[in-house]
Amino acid sequence: MQLGFYFDQNRCTGCDACTVACKDLHAENLFEEPADWRWVVELESGAYPHPSVHYIALSCLHCAQPSCIEACPAGAIEKRAQDGIVVVHREQCLGRDVCGAPCREACPYDAVRFGPEPDARMQKCDFCLGRWEDGQLPVCVTACPMRALDAGDIEELRRKYGDDKEMPGFEHSEANRPSLVVKARKSI
Amino acid sequence: MSTAESGRSGADVRIVPTGGCYDCGGKCVLKVHVKDGVAIRVDTDDGEEPQLRACAKGRAMRRQVYAPDRLLYPQKRVGPRGEGRFERVSWDEALDRVASELSRVKAAFGAEAIVAMTLSGASGSLHSGNMTLRRLLKSFGGYSSSWGDVSGQGALFSSRATYGTLTNGNSRDDLMNSRLIILWGFNPATSIWSTNTIFHITQAKEAGARIVVVDPRFTNTAAVLADEWIPIRPGTDTAMMAAMAYVMVSENIHDRAFLERYTVGFEKYEDYVLGREDGLAKTPQWAEAKTGVPAEVIASLARQYANLRPGALIVGMAPGRVAYGEQFHRAASTLAAMTGNVGVHGGNAAGFERTAVVPMIPEAFTKFFEGGSYEAQRKRLDAPGRNRIQPHGSRIWDAILEGKAGGYPADYKLAYIAFNNPLNQFVNTNKGVQALHKLEFIVVHEQFMTATARFADILLPVTTVWERNDFVRPWMGGPYFICQNKVIEPPGEARSDVDICRELARRLNVSDPFFDLTEEEMIRQMVEAMQDVTPEIGDYEKFKREGSHKIKRPEPQVSFKKQIDDPENNPFPTVTGKIEIFSQLVADLDYPDLPPIPKHLDAWEGPEDPLAKRFPLQLVTYHHRVRAHSCFGNNPWLNRLEPQSLWLNSRDAKSRGVGNGQMVRVFNDRGETIVPAAVSERIMPGVVALGEGAWYRPDEKGRDRGGCPNVLTRNDCSPGGAFPYNGCLVQVERFAEEG
Repeated sequence: MQLGFYFDQNRCTGCDACTVACKDLHAENLFEEPADWRWVVELESGAYPHPSVHYIALSCLHCAQPSCIEACPAGAIEKRAQDGIVVVHREQCLGRDVCGAPCREACPYDAVRFGPEPDARMQKCDFCLGRWEDGQLPVCVTACPMRALDAGDIEELRRKYGDDKEMPGFEHSEANRPSLVVKARKSI
Repeated sequence: MSTAESGRSGADVRIVPTGGCYDCGGKCVLKVHVKDGVAIRVDTDDGEEPQLRACAKGRAMRRQVYAPDRLLYPQKRVGPRGEGRFERVSWDEALDRVASELSRVKAAFGAEAIVAMTLSGASGSLHSGNMTLRRLLKSFGGYSSSWGDVSGQGALFSSRATYGTLTNGNSRDDLMNSRLIILWGFNPATSIWSTNTIFHITQAKEAGARIVVVDPRFTNTAAVLADEWIPIRPGTDTAMMAAMAYVMVSENIHDRAFLERYTVGFEKYEDYVLGREDGLAKTPQWAEAKTGVPAEVIASLARQYANLRPGALIVGMAPGRVAYGEQFHRAASTLAAMTGNVGVHGGNAAGFERTAVVPMIPEAFTKFFEGGSYEAQRKRLDAPGRNRIQPHGSRIWDAILEGKAGGYPADYKLAYIAFNNPLNQFVNTNKGVQALHKLEFIVVHEQFMTATARFADILLPVTTVWERNDFVRPWMGGPYFICQNKVIEPPGEARSDVDICRELARRLNVSDPFFDLTEEEMIRQMVEAMQDVTPEIGDYEKFKREGSHKIKRPEPQVSFKKQIDDPENNPFPTVTGKIEIFSQLVADLDYPDLPPIPKHLDAWEGPEDPLAKRFPLQLVTYHHRVRAHSCFGNNPWLNRLEPQSLWLNSRDAKSRGVGNGQMVRVFNDRGETIVPAAVSERIMPGVVALGEGAWYRPDEKGRDRGGCPNVLTRNDCSPGGAFPYNGCLVQVERFAEEG
């Protein structure tokens, strides 16, 4: 099985409830500048009086072929066989300042993150694994006031929502094959 | 945290239901996980849909209640007032001082010298100005205060004059019946305006409704939902509406049968829009010159609204926060009547938006806000008359500075400030600084060192919603109540506003048995006294356990349905029993700038004010998505999402040599603020925007560095009482730090 996310670009208002809910759950320290495991990109185009603005809520997309794994010199990143979730074993991570963080360069989606501390170790979305194993959806999904996110078995998500892989502002990487189903913004 | 534990709370965790963080348009459910007395994470509603899901602000509450800058101890001022130098004192010393100052001022100057400045900041139902401080001061012998609804006095005026009631909204689920939804100065993606409003509009759109947004800014709501965005100059909305009426009448597409049956005075409005009254037809071309909206766009929206029925015109209160703001709301309700959209599913009365079931104003209290004798109703509309009895909120600083000599009802000596950050949030901050310097004594209840708190003589640290018990209602929508269970112990020596007032009641020897009750007893008494609450929350323990009580209705709630379905037996609660497009109540007031039919009047500090030669940009001060007014303004988890900046159209930026992200100075004769520019195509040229609630931070030269828009706003009110937060002219220039 491969777990993945669904995102409806027609619904996202860029409110960042997902971003902050993720932070509340995963930030180890309330008082340091947090690393974003999930974040929202705002894309603006067009000229007045016809501007266009749309949003993309992103996280690690738990690629079928994650390029971060090969890039890591310490073998600290693992793709779990049972559900395809890509996890980082932080105790094995050498730290950004030691290896130069080639994982960050390798990720096409900017999902590899580091905190502000010296010699920060890599962190990123882990699909709220503990919640998932307890039968709960990742917190970003249950946080979204617009019900624009979903998560689960990628095959089921495709059956439910279709097989669109790209949306304005987001390119599918055939090399990585991110586990993401999208509903692209309809032009209005 | 190891990966296997990710997202798990683990053993010995208690989940405490609460919600409704501050005075936010959403009142949402929060479920706080508590371990060993510490809140370790926040979840939201995971029950039956429609769930009341919290926004980013609610999700950032842990960063709020555990903030290192929380006020933990009572403090007294030691340096010059306003400088922010304080020294820790005991509660006894602080409360004794407050009690003795209250007694001294009352004895020397009378109780009217005490001004109670309470608003809705960090309030619940019990922890609120009315139930705590004002109740205490009333028993003590009285107090002064200001009048006026900071947010929506224009809408209040209009709904009273037009419909005779504030209860004229529909439940949001009724939008599924709309073919057209016009959001006029209404941005629920950000201001929330009842939890799930934006979600209901989205569902309506997905079901085929057309969405039009009228707003000088291309808001997040417009970005995601609008089939059409119509930018308009602030303060000119009423002109556009008059032109829409002109088009409807000229093309005979208005609902004449509806107008005849349910309204009075349409012929006078018709005379006005056709130019029979003043020789000036309110054509789309006339309106284009005022509004900046192309004539064909105005005509098109008129045709859409008249033909795509039912249609819901939802007006925000922002366009009414200008010089003649009440006219905007009157015109909107008139258009709703002209299109037969009042009292029908899928329509909307375009009024104050209070719905019939569980809104912020309980049914039992509405008698204080509407109805009564002809004289009582007329007085409620008479802003100049009210100003003689009580200063309008926009003039409170003037009232403190000038007192009786300036024509105000009292000489004010002591300000007691709670649930409020008036220096930051009332118009004309710099005048507020002068006024606070003039007072003899200032006491402030606060959670943080706000601009206002810095001016306290005695500063009392108060609890957040997580550190006390209370319950809360949504603004207008719902229908539901949220039980605000105490989640954690207060930090340091912080105490609740109820506790503080109870202590003061003892010290002042006031006899109000309410203050002898425990917090829990007070809440139970309130629940029992509120007629709309009691039958719903019969089982109080269950309410506390579940944390929210959602009321199910078989179908969406539509205001005035019975008046429309059976008018003979159900008159509108107005003087004439009809929708009053012409208001005799207003006519009797006989003020030249308060016409009895809705009219466009060229606004002061609007685009046609001669002052625009010096200050050519119109400033709007919108609800910012990372704050609930000034609350959360110091929360770094939220501020990093969208730092305060000035929205400036690329043309206005170019002519001033300003690049995106560069610092600019925004100024007028009242003040200045220095902020980064957000150069954008999302705002109309000639208009700039600063989110309200950013914290006032004066530098050593007195220039604000926090981006607080109220250093610029005007301390004045419209003749109907609207506050002019969006009626403000400014200039913008590049700013470079000296050497």
